[in-house]
Amino acid sequence: MKLFSSNAGYFFKEVKTMIRLNLFSNSLTIFSTGLIFFILAMIISGWWVSSHVVNVVQGEAEINVYLDEEILNNNTGVSQMVESIKGIEGVQAARVVDQDEAYNRMVEILGKEASVLNKFDDNPFSSFVELKIDLQEIDPVLEKLTHMMGVEHVRDNREVLERLRNIAEALRVVGILVVAAVGISTLVIISHIIRLGISNNKEQIYTLRLLGAPELFIAFPFLLEGLLLTIGGGILAVSLATFSISYLYAQMAGPLPFIPLPPLKELVSGMGIVVMSLSAVLGFVGSLLGLVSVRNN
Amino acid sequence: MIKAKGVSLRFPNGTIAINNIDLQVEPGDMVYVTGPSGSGKTSLLKLFMGIEYPTIGSLEVLGQQMDKGQTSRIRQLRTSIGPVFQEFKLIKGRTVAENVMLGMRFLDLSQDQLKENAHDALAKVGLEHKASSLVENLSWGESQRVAIARAVARKPLLILADEPTGNLDKDNAINILELFKSFIDQKTSVIITTHATHLIDAEKHCKLIQMNKGSLSWERLG
Repeated sequence: MKLFSSNAGYFFKEVKTMIRLNLFSNSLTIFSTGLIFFILAMIISGWWVSSHVVNVVQGEAEINVYLDEEILNNNTGVSQMVESIKGIEGVQAARVVDQDEAYNRMVEILGKEASVLNKFDDNPFSSFVELKIDLQEIDPVLEKLTHMMGVEHVRDNREVLERLRNIAEALRVVGILVVAAVGISTLVIISHIIRLGISNNKEQIYTLRLLGAPELFIAFPFLLEGLLLTIGGGILAVSLATFSISYLYAQMAGPLPFIPLPPLKELVSGMGIVVMSLSAVLGFVGSLLGLVSVRNN
Repeated sequence: MIKAKGVSLRFPNGTIAINNIDLQVEPGDMVYVTGPSGSGKTSLLKLFMGIEYPTIGSLEVLGQQMDKGQTSRIRQLRTSIGPVFQEFKLIKGRTVAENVMLGMRFLDLSQDQLKENAHDALAKVGLEHKASSLVENLSWGESQRVAIARAVARKPLLILADEPTGNLDKDNAINILELFKSFIDQKTSVIITTHATHLIDAEKHCKLIQMNKGSLSWERLG
């Protein structure tokens, strides 16, 4: 351990020299790993955003139950229906939204365009029962509601949720494939660059062996070089991804304000931590592979 | 320090580099190895460093048996040896001071000791003013002196120098031999191969090994 702590300065200086002596090749390595990690960062961010949207939409999942005209005209009938609905397993809450509340909600949604409602002589909305349900139980709840006497029709946001879920799932699968592809590419690039570095420095390595240097002492600068190159690539990727995500957020804020995006700061910091951790791990493993393959030869 | 009994070194192509030699070097011995090119001088040093292993016979260096199976122990043994290679083996892209310190970084020395040893060694070979120069900017003679400084800065128990005066003028060569001799008082053994027999004619209290076609004969001078 003392070997490393007392030589920390030397190891970093040695890496700096190795990078300087092979600057072009090392710059290309940082650039190529940076681009690979950038793709990964964007996929991770897309996956994150879609999962967040699904969760938010799921959290707001509501079912609206519209009742027959006859029941709506009978206050006791409505109360009885609400009580019956509350009794269904999976229903967490049920309340009546009357015509006025339905109208006011639409005014709120339409905002400046709400004046269009003035064109109606009467309130065009009907009362309905609003349910909050346990999402795990959505299918049996819907099944029971549609077969209930006095229910005209049921409106749920299952279709929207399904689509979002599909997108999130697709991004998850793509994400896993990209992580695998990024992992393999980075390992190949880094182990190759380390092999190249060792080959370029074989005279130096031989001399150090003749002077009695331990293998770890000889290998450590190469490990550190691989680690720093991928971390460099990671920093480049995170910077590019941060810029791109901020730009996309700014573009989406205007035309698509209702999409419940996660907070930008949270997204960027989470993506940064994942990409940087992955780049460090892949850099270390790639360097190790490069060293082992040279040693075996 | 070094004990060789019936040691031979035969290369895979059949060349016999060292032929059945017996040798004993004691602590504080100054040994010159001379002989024509191809007589086995460098091969002898390679055996002492564990770069080559005896094909036949028994060789012990600083108490370590020099066998193929002892690689890690031989690596450890090398930390007690100060080698000066014929082709210097300095590390390019690094300064003179960095090259000298590199030979000591994995020894149990503090940073201050490291710097002090490097500075002293460079002063002894007259190159303290070149400490910050890159080694590729040095002349051959200067490179040779850096290689010597790297070897002696480690304060080794055994110095193995292959033609250390080969690229030096007479004054510098004498200075380097004096430097090596200064280690004898500290019971460090010094083995030097050289063609420059004129430099050792006046030497006293040392051993002279003459090599010819892998065999050796030796005498005590002075």
